[in-house]
Amino acid sequence: MDQKPSADSEAELVAQLTRSQLAISVYVRSLMPGEQGTDEVVQQTNAKIWQKRAEFQAGTNFRAWACAIARYEVLNFRKQQARDRRLQFSAELEQTLAMEVVELEDDLAERQSALRQCLDQLPAESRELLMLRYGSKETLPNFAARMGRSADGLKVTLHRLRNKLAGCIERRLANQGGI
Amino acid sequence: MNPEQRLELLDGLLDGSISDAERLQIEAELIVDPQLRQEYYRRIRLDYLLEREAASLVVAPQTLERVSKSNWRVWSILFLTSAASLMMLAAWSHWKSRWKPVVTVSSAQEGVASGKLAATQVQQSARGFGLLRGQSEAVWAQGTLREGDLLPEGSLQLKAGQAHIELFSGVQLMVQGEAEFSVDSPMQVTVIKGRLRAQVPEPAQGFQIRTSAGDIVDLGTEFSIDAAEQDARVQVVDGEVEIRPHGSPRRRLTSGNVVRVASSGTVAEEREDLNLISPDQFQSMLEAQVQRHLESWQQAVADLRDDARLLAFYRMKPEQERSRVAKNLAAASSWAASDGAIVAAVPATDRWGRNGAALDFSRLGSRLRMTVPGEHRGISMLCWVKINSLDRWYNSLFLTDGHEDHEPHWQIMDDGRIFFSVKQPKDSAKASQQQHVYYSPSIWSSDLSGRWIMLAITYDVDQQRVTHFLDGQPISREAISDRALVENIRMGAASLGNWSEPMYRTDAEFVVRNLNGSIDEFAIFSGALSPQEIERLYRIGTPNAWQENDPRQ
Repeated sequence: MDQKPSADSEAELVAQLTRSQLAISVYVRSLMPGEQGTDEVVQQTNAKIWQKRAEFQAGTNFRAWACAIARYEVLNFRKQQARDRRLQFSAELEQTLAMEVVELEDDLAERQSALRQCLDQLPAESRELLMLRYGSKETLPNFAARMGRSADGLKVTLHRLRNKLAGCIERRLANQGGI
Repeated sequence: MNPEQRLELLDGLLDGSISDAERLQIEAELIVDPQLRQEYYRRIRLDYLLEREAASLVVAPQTLERVSKSNWRVWSILFLTSAASLMMLAAWSHWKSRWKPVVTVSSAQEGVASGKLAATQVQQSARGFGLLRGQSEAVWAQGTLREGDLLPEGSLQLKAGQAHIELFSGVQLMVQGEAEFSVDSPMQVTVIKGRLRAQVPEPAQGFQIRTSAGDIVDLGTEFSIDAAEQDARVQVVDGEVEIRPHGSPRRRLTSGNVVRVASSGTVAEEREDLNLISPDQFQSMLEAQVQRHLESWQQAVADLRDDARLLAFYRMKPEQERSRVAKNLAAASSWAASDGAIVAAVPATDRWGRNGAALDFSRLGSRLRMTVPGEHRGISMLCWVKINSLDRWYNSLFLTDGHEDHEPHWQIMDDGRIFFSVKQPKDSAKASQQQHVYYSPSIWSSDLSGRWIMLAITYDVDQQRVTHFLDGQPISREAISDRALVENIRMGAASLGNWSEPMYRTDAEFVVRNLNGSIDEFAIFSGALSPQEIERLYRIGTPNAWQENDPRQ
């Protein structure tokens, strides 16, 4: 019988959905690397999850269910955009990614805090470059042109900065755990 | 491929800057190498966080679009779909734990505070099935509950007074003390004892109240109950309810019916009306109460204007419509500040519920410009503010232009600590060049979002002490060292709700520091007010009923 979810289970679902935002975002981004529109897909996924909330079976893995919906929404988005098939990973990899993303630790707040501390340690110039790059939706070559730099050179600079930040964040997170 | 090359390819993949061949290559590696996949997730999270950082920090012309498309939009659909979830996401309240004890910062800790950022709560959640909409002379056994607080789960005891509860299902409950009950879900309340009136809107039909004598299920609109250990009286005010006595058949009651249901299962007609106030009547009673508070506050402000220490008192309501000037009401000081010039900020509802009597500073560039003349041996500032969120590193309260010697800056960090500093002259013989910041502990939890609070700060030169206040109570005190002491404070040109940058710069890019919230009153005094004075200003200035049993007193 088609039954309306109770207010209880709705509240629980909202809580689950809140806790799963990082996993959904990471999964969608992992399926669409270098593509625009990940925010839209995440938003669509949330809406779809809400629509289908009655179908979720309590006791089963919510994130896995959410990722399945997210995957469908990625496909849907591509269809709408009439995207090139080449941009899609193999089904095998997409499934592996979904399985692993579900298991990722939910440590966004810690990561953000660590990132800020790490950003503070960078020279102001590097920090500004990163903020400009991440605040822009332009392609790398367009962005580089606007900055008056070569795309290849900028790519290397950004890569090094990311390495630095990634290392710094992992060190900080490891230290936090140790204290 | 060595690890470094693989990382380069990952970045290229995420940047959208690799060739098809490289893409196939990295995909093949991703399929077989679990470690590389972990690296991939780490990079994705890093990108995600950097985007958020960029969106929250700087708004340059080229990045405006990105900010408006920030991740918050993700939630809009959820919000629209369920008002209940909005409340649950936006509010996070701990029973009694919100008010932290006064913290004294020892000199050993002084060096620690450095203006760097602590963790921000990124994904929020909350617990509860409803919130306290209003109350009158309410005494809760568990401690203080304030208007707007989420109701904690578990047993609740209202020892006296009245409380208006709004459940996420839309059910409005009036509870009359003394009562003992628990909210089990937005659709179910258990009453051990006490009197309660429920107004049930159509989407919440089926709402039920459990008592020792049986369950009462709403089939439409409004009913009252009076529950005791042995029995329960039920009155249908309007519509229909079904009573389900223990061990007896169900029975439907319609408007006007009053019955007594015994725990044995017997049901008897009653004559006596339960006579409980309805949520609507209660709200209009509260409004009348707020109106009385407002009148006494207005009287107090009239007296305050004659206080020679008062340099500035801005009420954020222009005297004439369309005017962009907030008048300085301070009348007795020879150093009175200029009137305030409103920039970008738009009219909002003030803490008394009056439209257009506050200013909303959330629009980019918003500020109230003013000039405060003179030199002052200490200062006190007081601000009624409603913060939406602390989404910038620095969320401005009152800042002088630039940051010159002798000048104060008052703002809130994104982790909820209040920042106050007075710049020491550099050429001072007192040596230390390090700018000292007096931080309060974090005052922020998201249940403060959208609620009016009174913040105050005193810089006391004679006692060499900085004190932060929240809602009239000191939350932290810190000694001013001899080295850091600035005996004559200057303000000059300053802004409320923002910082002057980039007023005198030619570069159009600027850091977003305007307050994401509203202010309805702001005052500056020359010299330090006593804690008693601050408390009194809160007591007469708060629209909420002052609770005599408030443990913070």
